[in-house]
Amino acid sequence: MEKLKLVIDKYLSWLLIATMAIMVVNVLWQVFSRFFLETPSSVTEELARYLLMWIGLTGGAYAYSQGLHLALDLLTEKLRGRRKAYSGILIHSLIGAFTAGAFIYGGARLVYITLVLDQTSAALQIPMGYVYMAIPVSGMLIVFYSLYYIRENLANVDAPPEHQRDSSDIQVE
Amino acid sequence: MDFTGVVVLLASFVILLFLGIPIAFVIGISTLLTMLVSIDGGAALTTIAQRMATGLDSFALLAIPFFILAGQLMNSGGIARRLVDFGKTLVGMLPGGLAYVNVIAAMLMGAISGSAVAAASAIGGFMGPQMKKEGYKEEFSAAVNITSSTTGLLIPPSNILIVYSLASGGVSIAALFLAGYIPGLLVGLSIMFVAGYHAFRNKYKVSDRVPLKEAVAKFLDAIPSLFLIILVMGGIIMGIFTATEAAAVAVLYTLVLSVMIYREIGWSDLPSVLLKSTSTTAIVMLLIATSMSMSWVMSYENIPQNVSNALITLSDNPFVILIIINIILLSVGAFLDMTPAVLIFTPIFLPVVMELGMDPVHFGIIMVLNLSVGLCTPPVGTLLFVGCGIANVSIVKVIKPLLPIFAAMVISLMLVTFFPWISLYLPRLFGF
Repeated sequence: MEKLKLVIDKYLSWLLIATMAIMVVNVLWQVFSRFFLETPSSVTEELARYLLMWIGLTGGAYAYSQGLHLALDLLTEKLRGRRKAYSGILIHSLIGAFTAGAFIYGGARLVYITLVLDQTSAALQIPMGYVYMAIPVSGMLIVFYSLYYIRENLANVDAPPEHQRDSSDIQVE
Repeated sequence: MDFTGVVVLLASFVILLFLGIPIAFVIGISTLLTMLVSIDGGAALTTIAQRMATGLDSFALLAIPFFILAGQLMNSGGIARRLVDFGKTLVGMLPGGLAYVNVIAAMLMGAISGSAVAAASAIGGFMGPQMKKEGYKEEFSAAVNITSSTTGLLIPPSNILIVYSLASGGVSIAALFLAGYIPGLLVGLSIMFVAGYHAFRNKYKVSDRVPLKEAVAKFLDAIPSLFLIILVMGGIIMGIFTATEAAAVAVLYTLVLSVMIYREIGWSDLPSVLLKSTSTTAIVMLLIATSMSMSWVMSYENIPQNVSNALITLSDNPFVILIIINIILLSVGAFLDMTPAVLIFTPIFLPVVMELGMDPVHFGIIMVLNLSVGLCTPPVGTLLFVGCGIANVSIVKVIKPLLPIFAAMVISLMLVTFFPWISLYLPRLFGF
């Protein structure tokens, strides 16, 4: 599972880097086309918004994988050993359960509804269901990472203290 | 009236927050629990997903990743060093001069990159050792550095003001940006005032005047960085481009500047810069996404209306209500980071103050200034942690020199709260 996480992290990070670069070029093109080409591009604004949705949600999964999300660790940072592991299991289980419900189930229903209603975007004419797919995709990534962290903390419950790993210290690449 | 929803929301939020769950998920989970009181499960989950999607579907929000990226590109140290050198030629020869240099560099950095944390770490890294060498107390230098970097949150471009614009339902970003200048300057000056008094009492020695030739050289070196301020803000104010387009232009400009002209960053560093900006962006975006579902459930439960009614029964004096709101926000800011605090409390308090006749632009500035105090206070203060880490001093030691600066910041907050023109003069001048 560790290996799988590294592989997913790697592909996800390259995807995010590429999307970010495309987003910048896209909006620069919007400015350029308006000033110099007399024919302002109509699709760039829409494309930019949808890319942002994808980058925000899948990037949110990546940030979770790297332990970057803001949290109030006032009470939990002093925990050590078994208690730290239990607290980690609780935190990541709640995240996983919420994400499975709201992102995967709720998101998939949203995608399904918009596909059935045949909603398409105004300028690009792509089905909105594809745009909203960002939510269940991000949900699956987050649930995967939450399972990874639950498994890691479970291992720490029984591990002797010197073998403890600190999930917040994990650095990938 | 049924208060079950409110109780569930508040209780679950506080419990989950203290369990150490990331705040974006705290917001999502407590929203879901509140919805389940009155809505069926499947519908609740779909509503959350739908609110997350529509919440992020905004062209204005796109300015945030671009300003973050531009800030990252400029954050390689080169820009901070040039601003510090430039500041030194301006005020370095005054008593307490280095403290002033720190404040001025932070304000300029805020006007360029808009990231308070970046300002605190970059400028603190340069100024700390120099101030120590000239006999400044380390904890005092750290306190000045921590608080002065909050000016960047008010001085545009400012990502938090974009977040406020979204949370308030579309207040003009250009108006908010213009409104931030004078309050940001006011906070900077109030910190300089305290620092100057401290330097005078401790008889800190005065640095030598920079020779004119060197001063000119430092100024010329800083010009390309300073020009970005004119490019971005000039473009937005004159209506040449939107905040988002200005941010994209800023990315291109900083890219050319730092890779090709200053040569502080190589092409091969770009992927890691992009990835770091994406992660920082995504943290904010996920918070916005789940907050949007929370604001839905809050209005479903009539929470803003109830808070408004409760505040108005407490007092019908606008002065008292504004003081109460400020005290609540100051206490919230001590625990909650700025972005979630703005996202959660704007929909609650904005209707109240608008009923009192306050301009939403003015309230946005009050909110950001208020919550920026919280960034420097324990128990949770991002800038406090970063600033102490950079200066390598303990948080306990920094508290004492911080106290008079807090007093100055709170006085600025009161001035900004009760004199609307401090915020509204510039936006009005430019016709917003």
